[in-house]
Amino acid sequence: MDPFLAFFENSTLASWIRGELIGSTLVFPVVVTLHTIGMGLVAGGSAAIDLRILGVARQMPLKLMGRFLPLLWLAFVVNAVSGVLLLIAYPTKALTNPIFYFKVGLIALAAWLVHRTGTAILRAPEDEQDTLTARTKVLAVASLACWIALITAGRLLAYTRRWEMLGIPAAG
Amino acid sequence: MEPWEAFIRSTALHAFVRTYEPWLWPTCETLHYLGLSLLLGTIGLFDLRVLGFARGIPFQAIHRLIPWGIGAYVLNVMTGIVFFFGHPDQYFYNNAFRFKALFMAIAGLNVVAFYGTSAFRDLATSRADVEASLRAKIIAGTSLTMWVGVLICGRLLTFYRPPFFH
Repeated sequence: MDPFLAFFENSTLASWIRGELIGSTLVFPVVVTLHTIGMGLVAGGSAAIDLRILGVARQMPLKLMGRFLPLLWLAFVVNAVSGVLLLIAYPTKALTNPIFYFKVGLIALAAWLVHRTGTAILRAPEDEQDTLTARTKVLAVASLACWIALITAGRLLAYTRRWEMLGIPAAG
Repeated sequence: MEPWEAFIRSTALHAFVRTYEPWLWPTCETLHYLGLSLLLGTIGLFDLRVLGFARGIPFQAIHRLIPWGIGAYVLNVMTGIVFFFGHPDQYFYNNAFRFKALFMAIAGLNVVAFYGTSAFRDLATSRADVEASLRAKIIAGTSLTMWVGVLICGRLLTFYRPPFFH
């Protein structure tokens, strides 16, 4: 094993997260569950805003949708922290898999898109709907596509090692 | 093996899931995760609004998100059926699954309580800046708690998985 990866993989913190230490059995399930709740909130809440930008629930004042943004960012932070813990627990598994790097790229893109759509809706006028620029709608479509790709990549991380074992060249 | 399990294992769906499992399972899981996100992002935001979050958004307006949540629910029931038919014993003899089913049942009764009583009618006719009734708030809080509970139990299924029986 690569010495850099081994340093993390063999650390006490990694053993603690993996549940190998006495009394730490619950750590991994809790971290994974928090990662899933955070995912649902940030991806689902962001998707709801995107759908509104694209014309769903038109009577909903777009500007006020911005009140949900702090909650989405909170979920984003929960997922960043829980994600780093999962990475420390299984660094080799993640860092030898190309899909992991794809996922990290999508996370950066998703954060940028939430920031951009957030700024766009906060600048939206109080009342009417038609002043949304085509550019904002493009952002909303990109955001929806990004969340779908991101969740797919995340879910596939659990499988690509198995495919590798079956001899299907999916992971590095 | 109990008769119900023997029946499920005799179905074409069971055979289909087991034959195509290597790609069908990850595909359905991904759809299940997309569905849970959409459900939490639509029904969850509506519940938060009823509880007093983002005041000023009219209840009727944010309620338009609910059909998307129902669509996500249907998607997740369908993919859930795929999982259950593929490995019925892994779910039925799993306490996480039993709690998940219980929370889903309570969430269902909660939907009946919301649309079957004055809770929904009062919201639909109220002004945007008005406070929701206590009844509506209790229903919204129950909904939020139950769906997060369903999500937690779903995530914990793997950790409570029984040994393969059959």
